[in-house]
Amino acid sequence: MAVLNNKKSKVSDEIPTSSMADIAFLLLIFFLVTTTFPKDKGLAVVLPEPGEEAQVSQKNILHLIVQPNGIVEVKRGESQQVQQMRPREIEGLWRQEVTQNPNLIAAVKTHPEAPYRFMVDVLDGLHSANAERISLQVLEN
Amino acid sequence: MSMKGGGFKKSSKASDEVPTSSLADIAFLLLIFFMVTTVFQADRDRPITWPEAEAAEKIDEKQKNILNIWMERDGSVFINDQPYQMQDVSVVVAPLYAGSDRALVISIRGDRDVPYLYMDQIQKELTEAGVVRVVFAAQLEQSMQRERR
Repeated sequence: MAVLNNKKSKVSDEIPTSSMADIAFLLLIFFLVTTTFPKDKGLAVVLPEPGEEAQVSQKNILHLIVQPNGIVEVKRGESQQVQQMRPREIEGLWRQEVTQNPNLIAAVKTHPEAPYRFMVDVLDGLHSANAERISLQVLEN
Repeated sequence: MSMKGGGFKKSSKASDEVPTSSLADIAFLLLIFFMVTTVFQADRDRPITWPEAEAAEKIDEKQKNILNIWMERDGSVFINDQPYQMQDVSVVVAPLYAGSDRALVISIRGDRDVPYLYMDQIQKELTEAGVVRVVFAAQLEQSMQRERR
Protein backbone atom coordinates (compact mmCIF):
# COMPACT_ATOMS: atom_id res chain seq x y z
CA MET A 1 0.00 0.00 0.00
CA ALA A 2 2.80 2.37 0.73
CA VAL A 3 3.98 1.94 -2.85
CA LEU A 4 0.66 3.20 -4.23
CA ASN A 5 0.93 6.44 -2.26
CA ASN A 6 4.00 7.34 -4.23
CA LYS A 7 1.97 7.72 -7.44
CA LYS A 8 2.11 11.29 -8.70
CA SER A 9 -1.21 13.07 -8.72
CA LYS A 10 -2.33 14.34 -12.11
CA VAL A 11 -4.30 17.22 -10.58
CA SER A 12 -2.43 20.48 -10.85
CA ASP A 13 -1.82 22.31 -7.60
CA GLU A 14 -2.17 25.76 -9.22
CA ILE A 15 -5.28 27.90 -9.40
CA PRO A 16 -6.52 27.83 -13.00
CA THR A 17 -6.02 31.36 -14.26
CA SER A 18 -6.88 30.74 -17.88
CA SER A 19 -10.61 31.18 -17.30
CA MET A 20 -10.12 34.40 -15.39
CA ALA A 21 -10.01 36.40 -18.60
CA ASP A 22 -13.31 34.91 -19.67
CA ILE A 23 -14.87 35.95 -16.40
CA ALA A 24 -13.51 39.47 -16.67
CA PHE A 25 -14.67 39.86 -20.27
CA LEU A 26 -18.04 38.46 -19.35
CA LEU A 27 -18.38 41.11 -16.67
CA LEU A 28 -17.15 43.80 -19.04
CA ILE A 29 -19.66 42.84 -21.72
CA PHE A 30 -22.47 42.42 -19.21
CA PHE A 31 -22.00 45.96 -17.89
CA LEU A 32 -21.54 47.38 -21.39
CA VAL A 33 -24.85 45.90 -22.43
CA THR A 34 -26.89 46.64 -19.33
CA THR A 35 -25.76 50.22 -18.79
CA THR A 36 -28.49 52.60 -19.79
CA PHE A 37 -27.86 56.27 -19.57
CA PRO A 38 -30.86 58.01 -18.10
CA LYS A 39 -32.69 59.97 -20.75
CA ASP A 40 -34.31 63.14 -19.56
CA LYS A 41 -38.03 63.28 -19.45
CA GLY A 42 -40.28 66.24 -19.21
CA LEU A 43 -43.18 68.26 -20.49
CA ALA A 44 -42.28 70.23 -23.60
CA VAL A 45 -43.68 73.68 -24.12
CA VAL A 46 -43.08 76.26 -26.79
CA LEU A 47 -42.43 79.75 -25.53
CA PRO A 48 -43.66 82.73 -27.53
CA GLU A 49 -41.17 84.69 -29.61
CA PRO A 50 -40.01 87.92 -27.97
CA GLY A 51 -42.51 90.71 -28.49
CA GLU A 52 -45.07 88.35 -29.93
CA GLU A 53 -48.49 89.07 -28.59
CA ALA A 54 -51.59 87.55 -30.01
CA GLN A 55 -54.98 89.01 -29.51
CA VAL A 56 -57.41 86.30 -28.66
CA SER A 57 -61.09 86.67 -28.24
CA GLN A 58 -62.15 86.08 -24.66
CA LYS A 59 -64.62 83.37 -25.61
CA ASN A 60 -61.77 81.19 -26.86
CA ILE A 61 -59.92 81.28 -23.57
CA LEU A 62 -60.27 78.82 -20.74
CA HIS A 63 -58.73 80.35 -17.64
CA LEU A 64 -57.16 77.87 -15.26
CA ILE A 65 -56.11 79.68 -12.11
CA VAL A 66 -53.81 77.65 -9.91
CA GLN A 67 -54.03 78.63 -6.26
CA PRO A 68 -51.26 78.09 -3.67
CA ASN A 69 -53.19 75.18 -2.12
CA GLY A 70 -53.36 73.35 -5.44
CA ILE A 71 -57.00 74.07 -6.15
CA VAL A 72 -57.65 75.06 -9.75
CA GLU A 73 -60.26 77.69 -10.47
CA VAL A 74 -61.76 77.34 -13.91
CA LYS A 75 -63.24 80.39 -15.61
CA ARG A 76 -64.66 80.29 -19.09
CA GLY A 77 -63.95 83.39 -21.14
CA GLU A 78 -65.93 86.37 -20.03
CA SER A 79 -68.24 84.66 -17.60
CA GLN A 80 -67.52 85.40 -13.97
CA GLN A 81 -68.61 81.97 -12.87
CA VAL A 82 -65.80 80.11 -11.11
CA GLN A 83 -65.63 76.37 -10.86
CA GLN A 84 -63.18 74.79 -8.43
CA MET A 85 -61.36 71.63 -9.43
CA ARG A 86 -58.49 69.41 -8.55
CA PRO A 87 -55.58 69.24 -11.04
CA ARG A 88 -56.33 65.67 -12.01
CA GLU A 89 -59.79 66.64 -13.24
CA ILE A 90 -58.32 69.00 -15.82
CA GLU A 91 -57.78 66.28 -18.41
CA GLY A 92 -61.47 65.36 -18.54
CA LEU A 93 -62.50 69.00 -18.47
CA TRP A 94 -60.27 69.88 -21.42
CA ARG A 95 -61.49 66.96 -23.52
CA GLN A 96 -65.06 68.06 -22.86
CA GLU A 97 -64.45 71.74 -23.54
CA VAL A 98 -62.42 71.29 -26.70
CA THR A 99 -65.15 69.29 -28.41
CA GLN A 100 -67.43 72.29 -27.93
CA ASN A 101 -64.86 74.83 -29.11
CA PRO A 102 -61.88 73.53 -31.13
CA ASN A 103 -60.20 76.97 -31.02
CA LEU A 104 -59.96 76.95 -27.26
CA ILE A 105 -56.75 78.15 -25.62
CA ALA A 106 -55.77 77.11 -22.12
CA ALA A 107 -54.46 80.04 -20.10
CA VAL A 108 -52.75 78.61 -17.05
CA LYS A 109 -52.38 81.39 -14.50
CA THR A 110 -50.44 80.37 -11.46
CA HIS A 111 -50.36 82.25 -8.18
CA PRO A 112 -46.80 83.55 -7.54
CA GLU A 113 -46.56 81.60 -4.30
CA ALA A 114 -48.05 78.38 -5.57
CA PRO A 115 -45.55 75.52 -5.64
CA TYR A 116 -44.37 74.72 -9.15
CA ARG A 117 -45.66 71.14 -8.96
CA PHE A 118 -49.28 72.26 -9.08
CA MET A 119 -48.61 74.03 -12.36
CA VAL A 120 -46.91 70.86 -13.61
CA ASP A 121 -49.97 68.85 -12.54
CA VAL A 122 -52.23 71.12 -14.59
CA LEU A 123 -49.84 71.09 -17.54
CA ASP A 124 -49.70 67.32 -17.24
CA GLY A 125 -53.48 67.12 -17.45
CA LEU A 126 -53.49 69.34 -20.52
CA HIS A 127 -50.74 67.31 -22.18
CA SER A 128 -52.59 64.09 -21.38
CA ALA A 129 -55.63 65.52 -23.12
CA ASN A 130 -53.45 66.44 -26.14
CA ALA A 131 -53.93 70.16 -25.68
CA GLU A 132 -51.60 72.17 -27.87
CA ARG A 133 -52.59 75.75 -27.34
CA ILE A 134 -51.37 76.52 -23.85
CA SER A 135 -50.32 79.82 -22.39
CA LEU A 136 -48.40 79.96 -19.13
CA GLN A 137 -48.74 83.07 -17.06
CA VAL A 138 -48.32 84.26 -13.53
CA LEU A 139 -51.42 85.41 -11.74
CA GLU A 140 -51.47 89.17 -11.38
CA ASN A 141 -53.78 91.02 -9.11
CA MET B 1 19.46 30.30 -34.59
CA SER B 2 19.17 26.58 -34.94
CA MET B 3 21.02 24.97 -37.75
CA LYS B 4 19.44 22.14 -39.62
CA GLY B 5 21.22 18.94 -38.93
CA GLY B 6 23.63 20.83 -36.78
CA GLY B 7 23.65 18.08 -34.28
CA PHE B 8 22.54 20.07 -31.26
CA LYS B 9 18.87 19.69 -30.61
CA LYS B 10 18.44 22.16 -27.88
CA SER B 11 14.90 22.10 -26.65
CA SER B 12 13.46 25.60 -26.57
CA LYS B 13 12.41 26.88 -23.22
CA ALA B 14 9.70 29.12 -24.76
CA SER B 15 6.26 27.66 -24.45
CA ASP B 16 4.36 27.10 -27.68
CA GLU B 17 1.08 28.21 -26.11
CA VAL B 18 -0.41 31.66 -26.19
CA PRO B 19 0.11 33.12 -22.76
CA THR B 20 -3.37 33.38 -21.32
CA SER B 21 -2.44 34.33 -17.80
CA SER B 22 -2.04 38.00 -18.70
CA LEU B 23 -5.36 38.14 -20.53
CA ALA B 24 -7.15 38.70 -17.25
CA ASP B 25 -4.90 41.64 -16.53
CA ILE B 26 -5.76 43.16 -19.89
CA ALA B 27 -9.48 42.71 -19.26
CA PHE B 28 -9.32 44.22 -15.79
CA LEU B 29 -7.22 47.06 -17.13
CA LEU B 30 -9.95 47.81 -19.67
CA LEU B 31 -12.60 47.53 -16.96
CA ILE B 32 -10.78 49.93 -14.68
CA PHE B 33 -9.99 52.29 -17.56
CA PHE B 34 -13.66 52.62 -18.45
CA MET B 35 -14.67 52.91 -14.82
CA VAL B 36 -12.25 55.76 -14.27
CA THR B 37 -12.84 57.66 -17.50
CA THR B 38 -16.63 57.50 -17.47
CA VAL B 39 -17.83 60.92 -16.47
CA PHE B 40 -21.36 61.33 -15.40
CA GLN B 41 -23.01 64.66 -15.83
CA ALA B 42 -21.42 66.84 -13.23
CA ASP B 43 -24.42 68.60 -11.80
CA ARG B 44 -26.62 65.58 -11.48
CA ASP B 45 -26.66 65.61 -7.72
CA ARG B 46 -28.40 68.88 -7.05
CA PRO B 47 -30.82 68.46 -4.17
CA ILE B 48 -33.99 68.47 -6.22
CA THR B 49 -37.21 66.57 -5.86
CA TRP B 50 -38.81 66.24 -9.23
CA PRO B 51 -42.36 67.14 -9.97
CA GLU B 52 -44.26 64.21 -11.34
CA ALA B 53 -46.17 64.06 -14.57
CA GLU B 54 -47.96 61.27 -16.37
CA ALA B 55 -47.47 62.80 -19.78
CA ALA B 56 -43.69 63.26 -19.40
CA GLU B 57 -41.97 62.43 -22.66
CA LYS B 58 -38.39 61.84 -23.61
CA ILE B 59 -36.68 64.92 -24.94
CA ASP B 60 -36.25 64.37 -28.63
CA GLU B 61 -32.93 66.13 -29.04
CA LYS B 62 -29.25 65.29 -28.92
CA GLN B 63 -27.62 65.54 -25.52
CA LYS B 64 -25.33 68.32 -26.64
CA ASN B 65 -28.31 70.45 -27.65
CA ILE B 66 -29.90 70.29 -24.24
CA LEU B 67 -29.06 72.94 -21.71
CA ASN B 68 -30.09 72.24 -18.17
CA ILE B 69 -31.16 75.07 -15.95
CA TRP B 70 -31.50 73.97 -12.36
CA MET B 71 -33.68 75.75 -9.91
CA GLU B 72 -33.57 74.94 -6.27
CA ARG B 73 -36.36 75.40 -3.79
CA ASP B 74 -35.14 78.82 -2.67
CA GLY B 75 -35.12 80.09 -6.26
CA SER B 76 -31.36 79.93 -6.86
CA VAL B 77 -30.45 79.22 -10.47
CA PHE B 78 -27.62 76.99 -11.66
CA ILE B 79 -26.42 76.59 -15.23
CA ASN B 80 -23.55 74.13 -15.82
CA ASP B 81 -22.81 74.02 -12.10
CA GLN B 82 -22.44 77.77 -11.90
CA PRO B 83 -24.81 79.84 -9.81
CA TYR B 84 -26.36 82.77 -11.62
CA GLN B 85 -28.57 85.66 -10.73
CA MET B 86 -32.01 85.47 -12.22
CA GLN B 87 -31.55 88.63 -14.30
CA ASP B 88 -28.32 87.26 -15.86
CA VAL B 89 -29.97 84.17 -17.29
CA SER B 90 -30.95 85.75 -20.60
CA VAL B 91 -27.44 87.15 -21.06
CA VAL B 92 -25.92 83.71 -20.43
CA VAL B 93 -28.36 81.73 -22.53
CA ALA B 94 -28.59 84.01 -25.58
CA PRO B 95 -25.02 83.36 -26.90
CA LEU B 96 -25.36 79.62 -26.23
CA TYR B 97 -28.64 79.59 -28.11
CA ALA B 98 -27.18 81.48 -31.06
CA GLY B 99 -24.11 79.21 -31.02
CA SER B 100 -26.25 76.11 -31.27
CA ASP B 101 -27.90 77.37 -34.46
CA ARG B 102 -31.17 77.88 -32.61
CA ALA B 103 -31.48 74.17 -31.96
CA LEU B 104 -30.97 74.44 -28.22
CA VAL B 105 -33.61 72.96 -25.97
CA ILE B 106 -33.73 74.30 -22.44
CA SER B 107 -34.60 71.79 -19.80
CA ILE B 108 -35.85 73.55 -16.71
CA ARG B 109 -35.14 71.30 -13.78
CA GLY B 110 -37.04 72.88 -10.99
CA ASP B 111 -37.73 71.57 -7.56
CA ARG B 112 -41.38 70.65 -7.15
CA ASP B 113 -41.82 73.22 -4.40
CA VAL B 114 -40.29 76.24 -6.13
CA PRO B 115 -42.75 79.12 -5.88
CA TYR B 116 -44.14 79.72 -9.34
CA LEU B 117 -42.96 83.34 -9.26
CA TYR B 118 -39.38 82.17 -10.00
CA MET B 119 -40.56 79.88 -12.76
CA ASP B 120 -42.34 82.77 -14.39
CA GLN B 121 -39.23 84.95 -14.13
CA ILE B 122 -37.08 82.30 -15.77
CA GLN B 123 -39.57 81.87 -18.59
CA LYS B 124 -39.48 85.62 -19.18
CA GLU B 125 -35.67 85.53 -19.20
CA LEU B 126 -35.68 82.70 -21.73
CA THR B 127 -38.20 84.49 -23.92
CA GLU B 128 -35.92 87.50 -23.85
CA ALA B 129 -33.01 85.30 -24.96
CA GLY B 130 -35.17 84.17 -27.89
CA VAL B 131 -35.47 80.57 -26.75
CA VAL B 132 -38.55 78.81 -28.05
CA ARG B 133 -38.27 75.19 -27.04
CA VAL B 134 -38.43 74.56 -23.33
CA VAL B 135 -39.00 71.38 -21.39
CA PHE B 136 -40.15 71.23 -17.80
CA ALA B 137 -38.22 68.23 -16.55
CA ALA B 138 -40.40 65.85 -14.60
CA GLN B 139 -40.38 62.33 -13.39
CA LEU B 140 -42.70 59.91 -15.09
CA GLU B 141 -45.66 59.34 -12.85
CA GLN B 142 -47.19 55.90 -12.76
CA SER B 143 -50.95 55.66 -12.73
CA MET B 144 -50.83 53.60 -9.56
CA GLN B 145 -49.10 56.42 -7.71
CA ARG B 146 -51.74 58.79 -8.94
CA GLU B 147 -54.51 56.64 -7.49
CA ARG B 148 -52.88 56.69 -4.08
CA ARG B 149 -52.35 60.41 -4.03
